[in-house]
Amino acid sequence: MGKPESTLDIPLEISDVSGQKIFSVANAPAANTVGELVHEMIGKMNLPRNDAGGAPLTYQARSEREGRHLNASERIGDALQRGDRLTLQPNIDAGLR
Amino acid sequence: MTLAFPCRFAIAIYGEDGACLGVVAARRDWEPAHEWTRFYFQRRGRLSLDGNGSASSVIPLWDRTLGEPYCRGYRIQIETPDGMPPVASDFPNTHFREFAAELASRFVAQRKLRAGELYSYALVAYPAPPEVAKAGGLSVTNASPGLPARDASLADLLARATPSGVIDIDDMPVFVSPRVLDEASELTRAEQGTETGGILIGTLGRDTMAGDVFAEITAQIPAEHTSGSQVKLTFTPQTWAAADAALRLRKRGEIYLGYWHSHPVRAWCKTRACTLEAQKTCHLAKDFFSPDDEAVMRAAFPRAYSVAIVANDTAFTDLTFSMFGNREGITQPRGFYVLEETIHGA
Repeated sequence: MGKPESTLDIPLEISDVSGQKIFSVANAPAANTVGELVHEMIGKMNLPRNDAGGAPLTYQARSEREGRHLNASERIGDALQRGDRLTLQPNIDAGLR
Repeated sequence: MTLAFPCRFAIAIYGEDGACLGVVAARRDWEPAHEWTRFYFQRRGRLSLDGNGSASSVIPLWDRTLGEPYCRGYRIQIETPDGMPPVASDFPNTHFREFAAELASRFVAQRKLRAGELYSYALVAYPAPPEVAKAGGLSVTNASPGLPARDASLADLLARATPSGVIDIDDMPVFVSPRVLDEASELTRAEQGTETGGILIGTLGRDTMAGDVFAEITAQIPAEHTSGSQVKLTFTPQTWAAADAALRLRKRGEIYLGYWHSHPVRAWCKTRACTLEAQKTCHLAKDFFSPDDEAVMRAAFPRAYSVAIVANDTAFTDLTFSMFGNREGITQPRGFYVLEETIHGA
């Protein structure tokens, strides 16, 4: 029998680029990936999912404590600690379109 | 705060003969109108500067002749925490013009509408079914800070400022350090033919006399880790991280107020072999802000006080600057003030 998955929830604080839109998350599941967290928070924070042409926008979560961008495949329980603050930072074009 | 929708909105498209060709659920980014409404009433003292979490809803405004379900527009309504009547702003049906045009193109492709046929559209709304709470999911609360405005004197800034562009007295006054524009000019010229840009930082002030809110752009942080081309500037997650580091190092209590980028119009025109006369009347030469440019504002600087500056690099005149901001829920060109250089400038 394998080791059971952790069911611990981790409280986090998540900000947009401007730092003026901040949401507290009470229960980020430790077993989920950072990518899943980012995907859900984009909706909760009402950040755009697509660029002007309809192509999906990519956001990376930056951990303030570690000073690095987290990989989308990292598990929340491995990468984050209680009370960590993440900033969602998009890859986005200004342009002629 | 999440917007509540007691009704669902849809767009009905009509052909030249008045026949309804179809009704499609309306697609709209309501956030800019919501942000603008909240900021409008915060500036006028009707909402607290800390009031980011007030319950808000989008309500149909019924057409006065046709009645329900036809709308003459929509209303963003924000509850006030102190039991006072809610505050609200009304928005016209024209907010759906682009979506209607998109639908019309779709109907042409589906042969419901002839190419070139005139069409009209109507905004309609129907009561929304009760929302079913989803089990599981993240439990989140809005912990956004209040409007970080410091007490300051608007008159003092106006006394040492020169207006640039068309000043609309309903817009939040924005003051720009001349050093910001000088640096943007230098960077634009250095990158001739390639888009470049930076992050605008500064402070918000609340006038101690009138109570209105204004912004002072004190500096720009050159955007690092970007990739630029003649028609595009890509901001990467590393760009924002570098800007964060620079902002913290300054330790001046500044916040992000938006971004600037260059439009190398002379290079665009050279590629298209436009005549100098054509360039002078080209809509790209001044006050042009593309949907892509707007998307950066929406993703990175969604608050209604945020602004963008475009450095227009044309062949027929010196470098000029255009400013854009959220007015009535739509990004529009706006005027600003350039401050006199001070010895203690940022």
